Amino acid sequence: MSTHVQTAGASATGSDEPMSVSFSRIHKSYGSTSVLTDLSMEVDAGSMVSILGPSGCGKTTTLRVLAGFEPVDSGDVLVGGRSILGLPPRRRDMGMVFQSYSLFPNLSVDDNIEYGLRIRRIDRAARRTRTDELLDVCGLGGMGDRYPHQLSGGQQQRVALARALATRPKVLLLDEPLSALDAAVRSSLRDEIRRVQQALGTTTVFITHDQGEALAIADRVAVMNAGRIEQYAPPHEVYAHPSTPFVSRFVGTINEVAVPRSWSASDDLPVDALGDDVVFIRPEDLAVDPDPGGQLVVTRQTYTGERTMVRLGRPGDDSVEWSASLASADAHAVPPGTRVRTRVTGQPAMRLPVGEAGGRWA
Amino acid sequence: MSRRAAAPTRALAWLPIIALAIFILTPQVSSLTYAFFRSDGTFTTDGLTGLADSGAIVAPLIRSLVIASLTVVVLVGTLVPAVVAVHLWAPKLRSVLGILCTLPLVIPAIAIVAGLSAVLRGLASQGRGSVGMQISTALQSQDLPLVLVGTYVVLCLPFTYRSIDSGLSTLPLRTLFESSSVLGASTPDTLRRVVLPNIAGPVMFSAFYAFALSIAEYTVAATLSIPMLPVYLNTLSSTNFRGSITLSVLLSLTTWLLLAAATVSASRFGRTSAPASRKETTTR
Repeated sequence: MSTHVQTAGASATGSDEPMSVSFSRIHKSYGSTSVLTDLSMEVDAGSMVSILGPSGCGKTTTLRVLAGFEPVDSGDVLVGGRSILGLPPRRRDMGMVFQSYSLFPNLSVDDNIEYGLRIRRIDRAARRTRTDELLDVCGLGGMGDRYPHQLSGGQQQRVALARALATRPKVLLLDEPLSALDAAVRSSLRDEIRRVQQALGTTTVFITHDQGEALAIADRVAVMNAGRIEQYAPPHEVYAHPSTPFVSRFVGTINEVAVPRSWSASDDLPVDALGDDVVFIRPEDLAVDPDPGGQLVVTRQTYTGERTMVRLGRPGDDSVEWSASLASADAHAVPPGTRVRTRVTGQPAMRLPVGEAGGRWA
Repeated sequence: MSRRAAAPTRALAWLPIIALAIFILTPQVSSLTYAFFRSDGTFTTDGLTGLADSGAIVAPLIRSLVIASLTVVVLVGTLVPAVVAVHLWAPKLRSVLGILCTLPLVIPAIAIVAGLSAVLRGLASQGRGSVGMQISTALQSQDLPLVLVGTYVVLCLPFTYRSIDSGLSTLPLRTLFESSSVLGASTPDTLRRVVLPNIAGPVMFSAFYAFALSIAEYTVAATLSIPMLPVYLNTLSSTNFRGSITLSVLLSLTTWLLLAAATVSASRFGRTSAPASRKETTTR
């Protein structure tokens, strides 16, 4: 899994006091379909929270509720302890970066960044200073005179970020800001967003369907599913100690193994899919040893450089399909076709009675 | 394609253009010749001086210029917000609006003015001093015939609506409005700073087109007996024929220039940006 990016907090370039954000028991439906159900979440001032989930889980709606583009049926949204529900978007003092195409095509980079300041009638000298600060912070030096169509996708999103931050907003909202970008650009821009956020200390909520992003840069991750938050915890918690089956399946890869009630981690893993409990085991917690008498066989390997994902199967039984993540050097010892046995190293991420495991056990 | 075959085909492509040019330019050239050359071939400016001397041209000219200007203002002032509103809040109504705005194209001007006359008569028939009578009189006032402004706006709709609608559909309107409002801008702010500049081409096209249509429109003005420039032109032809032809040439030239400006501005001032490419290369 990607390492969590830690950057030393630099001195804030003149931010106002950061504000906390609080969602309190939000309910929202479209007709008879419930989109958000009893949603509550606290975002600490100055922190960066990611809302992660599949399409349709309600993460975009949550962000739009915070921005003021969607009304709620009941509940409240507070910023700095005060309700903002009655305010239209333009009075909420927030910054927002959209997925794409949000820069004003008729304005230069400078003018785009200054837009919010101009609306607030800030004088020219102050606008210039602030714009220069942001061009610098967001790595856009010398590009002030360019127009959006002359910029690459990554540059455009950086301008969008600078523009959102120009007015020193209380909260920064990021709506899948990296989704429209190429993979290589995505990871560097992701780290830059984190760096800028920490430098300025702005409370930030960003939504994404990419768990790698969420785990890499957020202080806390809210995993959403069907309008509810299933787990809201720091990235490491969400990965290593998922609180629901959905979270364990959505974040990272997971192996689900049926075991008898008496099973413990020091025992071998049973390969027949019958048992009282289901244990959820991360691929890196499975060790694979070659064993001519083993019941499992390596079906294929997926090389990703430092690590290799080794797929295990049981001959003649399609129900077993496990993944073990090995250092690539170790994976060499078990090429496809090798008979192996596995054991669990460390603790399973989760263990539930079969009836509660959902998914294919239902 | 072999070079031997290309040359005749290219020549063939020019034929329709040449034919069309001859068809359009012949009356213009004839008028121009007649306006400035006597039948014995000598150059004359009698046509021009005849126009200027009488001074009768001034009132219709000013009337036409004023009405044309008002038409442009009303057209842009109502059409742009209307199309923006439909794009933003009622996209399903776009096709309905399109049909409505294209209707004037298929209704002859004389039919429009016939219906208009009936309405004006109906208002006037409510009796002396009544509100209906007052409205009817005011609309047809010789000083400021507002009835023409309304009519000309409607007559302009087919092409101007299409132009503005196409221009707007190239914009990610909802995202632009939302990002603008998060930054603190009101809806009029956003229209002024973001939307209008990005449809400058279509708006300028509409302005030039509306102006051209208004100063050259005859049927409605004549039927309502309002002495606009083209109506004056017609009456002039019985008293000072060469003068009327000169005026006709000038009017045609003006209209042509306006329409050329309209076409050029539609392409030159179109969106200042090409749509951004969705994926970028790895170089920054």
